[in-house]
Amino acid sequence: MSNLLRARRLVTGLLIALIFLVPIVYVIMISLESPAQFGAHPMQPPFPPSVSNFPSAWQQGDLGPEIVNTAIYAVGAAGISTALSLLIAFPIARRLVRWSSSLYQWFVVGLALPVSYIPLFIEARYLGLYNNRLGYILLHVEPGLPLGVILLTAFVSSIPQELDEAAWLDGSSYPRYMWSFVVPLAWPSIVITFLYSLLFVWNDIIGPVVFLANPSLFPVARGVYSFYSSNESAYTLLAAAVIIVSAPVAVLFVVSQRQLLKATMGLR
Amino acid sequence: MSDRGVPATTLGAPLVVAKPGSRRTTPAAWSSRRRHWPTGFPVQKRRSAAQKAPAARLLSRSSRTWMWAGVAAGLAFYVVFGIVPTVANLVVSFTNYSGFPGAPTSFVGLSNYELLFTSQEPGFVSSIEATVVFVVGVTVCQNVIGIALAHRLQKDSKTASVLRVLAFFPIVLGVTVVGIVWLLLFDPVSSPAEVVFGAFGVHSAFFGANNVAMVLVIIVQVWQNLGFTMAVYIGGLKTVPRSVYEAADLDGASAWQRLRSITWPMMAPSVSVNVLFAVVGSLTTYNLIYILTDGAFGTNTLGMFAFNTAFGSSADLGLGAAVTMALFVVAVVVAIPLAALLRARERRLGV
Repeated sequence: MSNLLRARRLVTGLLIALIFLVPIVYVIMISLESPAQFGAHPMQPPFPPSVSNFPSAWQQGDLGPEIVNTAIYAVGAAGISTALSLLIAFPIARRLVRWSSSLYQWFVVGLALPVSYIPLFIEARYLGLYNNRLGYILLHVEPGLPLGVILLTAFVSSIPQELDEAAWLDGSSYPRYMWSFVVPLAWPSIVITFLYSLLFVWNDIIGPVVFLANPSLFPVARGVYSFYSSNESAYTLLAAAVIIVSAPVAVLFVVSQRQLLKATMGLR
Repeated sequence: MSDRGVPATTLGAPLVVAKPGSRRTTPAAWSSRRRHWPTGFPVQKRRSAAQKAPAARLLSRSSRTWMWAGVAAGLAFYVVFGIVPTVANLVVSFTNYSGFPGAPTSFVGLSNYELLFTSQEPGFVSSIEATVVFVVGVTVCQNVIGIALAHRLQKDSKTASVLRVLAFFPIVLGVTVVGIVWLLLFDPVSSPAEVVFGAFGVHSAFFGANNVAMVLVIIVQVWQNLGFTMAVYIGGLKTVPRSVYEAADLDGASAWQRLRSITWPMMAPSVSVNVLFAVVGSLTTYNLIYILTDGAFGTNTLGMFAFNTAFGSSADLGLGAAVTMALFVVAVVVAIPLAALLRARERRLGV
């Protein structure tokens, strides 16, 4: 019985690993095949592996500037979004504003709002946010707010209220209190909020077409997609491009995976 | 500030002394208390009169200004880029706005909607069908597999934690990368899928084949988001105290009885979160479909359809806005009763 159970666990574990690893391993494998190797026997591991795809993809896809653009957009928008989420979440959690509860409900509704690209496009043109970096950042702050407010309200509520009372009685100002007490205490949840709002920017592939006209301003998600459209059959090159693009995110993920998973589990 | 029910005190008086055993929000109380998320307000509502005193009073005037400035800044973003566009969308949907500078724009009343509902726009009805298939398919698969995955990976063992991280990874990769990876995996000419299916003599265009494309799009969407669903379910499973299971074991409960009477009811809040996220998420997102099929081969969901009418070759922003409004109405009409239904189920299960 115990052996049977152990065997079953082994099989299911392997199955899960396969489901999530096969696509990734396949892409890594073909990225190391030269086009000739791929043409001859695509499904065999490459011996010797060739790394020539990486520099070609880097150059042809113009990935360098696009990665820089993405970093600027993602960090800018997610940073502003997280800061604003905290500034709304704290008063809501502490009921410092009278209509905290309805304010909170409004942000829950916000989760279901579809991104209205058409009015945003019109707005962007009127407000001078069309086709420039700052505009693109500001246009991507809002999608992160609803989830950010919800997550941070929950976390701030777990910080003992005695702390604010003590600090405020001592005459600590609100900005100072937020910065030196709330931010450090809520840091794990701030990281999560930041990462989830970063994902909105990172996943937006239609936004660049709507809000940007100049391809040199494109973030990498769009750039890679254009690269794909024009190199649809250059499989090995595409695989290399995909890996280059994913590398920074993968590193970020490995560093933060503990907190990210833990916070997601906390959503229940 | 409201003083109702609060003894009149002057500023600086010890009006908020914590009494032992009082209902206070502490981390310990927080973790053991039931939360109804995301539909409920997570903050303790009932507090004793002595603690009702608004702490804002302790803030100086300038600090209060700072606090309001922060709230106002955040709300400004939410209103300008969230609420206003949704309302504006409604306005645009009554016009024939094309988006070309200089092109005349006029109000056309309900004609965009008429176009949709009198099925002069053949894409609309089929896109509703596609949306239903996509949303139901994704929601069911994601939750069933998510629970199974959570059940297998909830232990604190080394393997389980590695597999959890692995399952979560696709979310971080993002839709573009995930989309291209699966396009490579299911390339009709040269791909592992071609090799595997070819061995059985089955050849398909995969993402370029009617019927097949929708199944694959659902699989990719589920594959990408499974990690999130799983993590939420693991969080739910972890809230069930060990002792409850031990007691059930002593009473000789079968595995099925344990699942049915302990695990399932205790997980009700996680089911609510996951089902709502899956439904609303799959209704409103279409980035992935845009990459995989661009809405062709029976995968033209409402979101995709809205984008293609607005920004495709015909560039009819007015009609596109009408489709987005239809999508919003569907999302609200589905999400609100669903949230109520799930909440009622939580209550019935005694959570």
